[in-house]
Amino acid sequence: MDAFVFSLLNGLVYGLLLFMVSAGLTLVFGMMGVLNFAHASFYMLGAYFSFALQGLLGFGPAVVVATLLSGLVGVIVERFFLRRVHAHGHAHELLLTFGLSFIIAEAIKLFFGNFPVDYRIPASLDFTAFRIGAQSYPAYRVLMAVVALAMFGALYLLLTRTRIGIIVRAAIHKPRMAQALGHNVQLVFMGVFGVGAALAGLAGAVAGAFYTTNPNMALEVGVMVFVVVVVGGLGSLGGAMLASLLIGVVTSLAVSVDRSLADLLGFVGAQAWAENIGGLMTLKVSSLAATLPFMLMLLILLVRPRGLMGEKN
Amino acid sequence: MLLAALPALLPAGLLIASNQMLVAALFASAYSLLSGRAGMLSFGHAAYFGIGAFATVHAMNAVGGAGLLPTPLMPLIGAAAGLAVGIVAGWFATQRSGTTFAMITLAIAELLHALAPQLKSLFGGESGISAMRMPAWGLDFGSTTQVYYLTLCWVLLSLALLYFHGLTPAGRLTLALRENGHRLRFLGYNVHGLGVSAFAISAMFSGLAGGLQALSNEAANYAVFDAGVSASVVLNSYIGGVGSFFGPALGAALMSFFGYAVSDITQSWMLYQGVLFVGVMMFAPAGVSGLLGSGSRLFAQRGWKLALPVTLLAVCAALLLSAGGVFIVEMLQRLCSQDYRAMAQAAAKLPTIALFGRAWSPGSVLTWALPVALLVLGAVLALAARRRLGANA
Repeated sequence: MDAFVFSLLNGLVYGLLLFMVSAGLTLVFGMMGVLNFAHASFYMLGAYFSFALQGLLGFGPAVVVATLLSGLVGVIVERFFLRRVHAHGHAHELLLTFGLSFIIAEAIKLFFGNFPVDYRIPASLDFTAFRIGAQSYPAYRVLMAVVALAMFGALYLLLTRTRIGIIVRAAIHKPRMAQALGHNVQLVFMGVFGVGAALAGLAGAVAGAFYTTNPNMALEVGVMVFVVVVVGGLGSLGGAMLASLLIGVVTSLAVSVDRSLADLLGFVGAQAWAENIGGLMTLKVSSLAATLPFMLMLLILLVRPRGLMGEKN
Repeated sequence: MLLAALPALLPAGLLIASNQMLVAALFASAYSLLSGRAGMLSFGHAAYFGIGAFATVHAMNAVGGAGLLPTPLMPLIGAAAGLAVGIVAGWFATQRSGTTFAMITLAIAELLHALAPQLKSLFGGESGISAMRMPAWGLDFGSTTQVYYLTLCWVLLSLALLYFHGLTPAGRLTLALRENGHRLRFLGYNVHGLGVSAFAISAMFSGLAGGLQALSNEAANYAVFDAGVSASVVLNSYIGGVGSFFGPALGAALMSFFGYAVSDITQSWMLYQGVLFVGVMMFAPAGVSGLLGSGSRLFAQRGWKLALPVTLLAVCAALLLSAGGVFIVEMLQRLCSQDYRAMAQAAAKLPTIALFGRAWSPGSVLTWALPVALLVLGAVLALAARRRLGANA
């Protein structure tokens, strides 16, 4: 039971982390209609910036500066790259961000080497938050969850309760109309892109210290974030939250399930037959954990193509 | 002609490289049938390449090692497997279009990549599966030369078939699918069926390319499902230019040739590839083949008196820009390497770096001024070329 609670909590924290990265991605998609392949690269950049600055500034300020720097890179990408190829269409933008993500990963390898770097949580944050039974729960996970929740709250309030939020939502919904009413939609685009990148950078700076920081982290998280955005519904913030938590919990719980498809078929009396087939049938669910999100995504695309909370097809 | 004469001209090592060039060229052509002709961006084509490779290896091992088919026909197994998987995956993926389509293809490839090491009997776990080429039709397929000719035959045949597909009504309709799917549906065509057919044909030829690679390596490993394989086919095709038929093949051949030639000298080849790709995307969306095309049009329309200086300027600009870029990257790469850091900590002042047959001190102005000067000069020449072109337009 303890183990179940812990893996549930771990799943929730991982889900919240996924949400921090996917929030910016889904907003940018809703706004520009382009899925930014390089978005997870900002997550990686955040982790590496924070790692590089940690010795100079200390952990807390390093995280803040890394967040700002990632946002700045995001603004540069939007202003000098994406805007230039906008006229060539969405496919071209997608390919460009794909190339940029490639360059960022290779540049990271150039500066920091093609191996995990020693980026750790500071000792002052490395203590136990609470205990259930014999197991202790690290405070840093709780901190990550708090950061993500605070970010969700701030973003939600900003979008729904402020004047800036109204303009941003208008620009997302009907960019031409907002432009005609005298708002600088280009600036809004750049701002949202930068904020999205900064949020991803914040997630990377916070999470990189807990998980590993290596040049492949963008790809690993990136693929998962695309799944989140597609499952949640492209452009929907609430959907991204729901899907992140769902995927975080599912992958975390699946790791501890020691059953296979053959066991499941045992309920209808076909266990021996399934075990004879072997292959996929006898694989434990725990070893399939990494593939579950993709299966979920294919399932969602089949039965509900617009995603859990997406508005349009 | 030249391709057929290569075995006589090249040493064995280079022949293996040209074999890989052929496979990469076929893979890129198959990929751009889907991405260029049908306009559907796939980011997971490694899946069909890998399926083809594994199917071929299994077929080579079948019947107690004798092989399911004679060796020269073995790539057909890869093609059949690619086709079968392509029909299933294509049926899923082409339900949606645009960005969602791209994401589905990525998810399918990642699914396979995550699943493959787990399924030991099918994909041989982490170590992969190996097989032997069996003698057939009076040839023993022991030497690289024979494998090269076999690959060449299959690649030429496949390229011809792919070209022919563009001339058939189905190929023309695929093109129409890219241009305007709604209108096509309105005209009464089965749009989903067309999409699946383009996807499946592309997957089939990707599988064939995978089979050829498995045949030449006599092995397959789950690394063929890696995201890097999917990425490189995208980069190759677009650097070559998906707009023309031979563009992707040209791009893939060029890129894998440079990859082979340069990979011993530099560790940053992937970075150059990425930068080249982004450069092409931003400044020459039609790719290398598009550049060649517009260059030759320039000569034909404006005469060589105008075209020659512009072309020379542009080529010089490109050379200067790449020289400056390469210099900076290589310098940084050496500066950030672990050996150098260890050395710098041991020594009192920064040790010099040997590059291009000269020792450079990382602290001096000249070391950094030189590449910056190269870059600035290159940019100025590029602007000059553009202005000349603009003034005479």
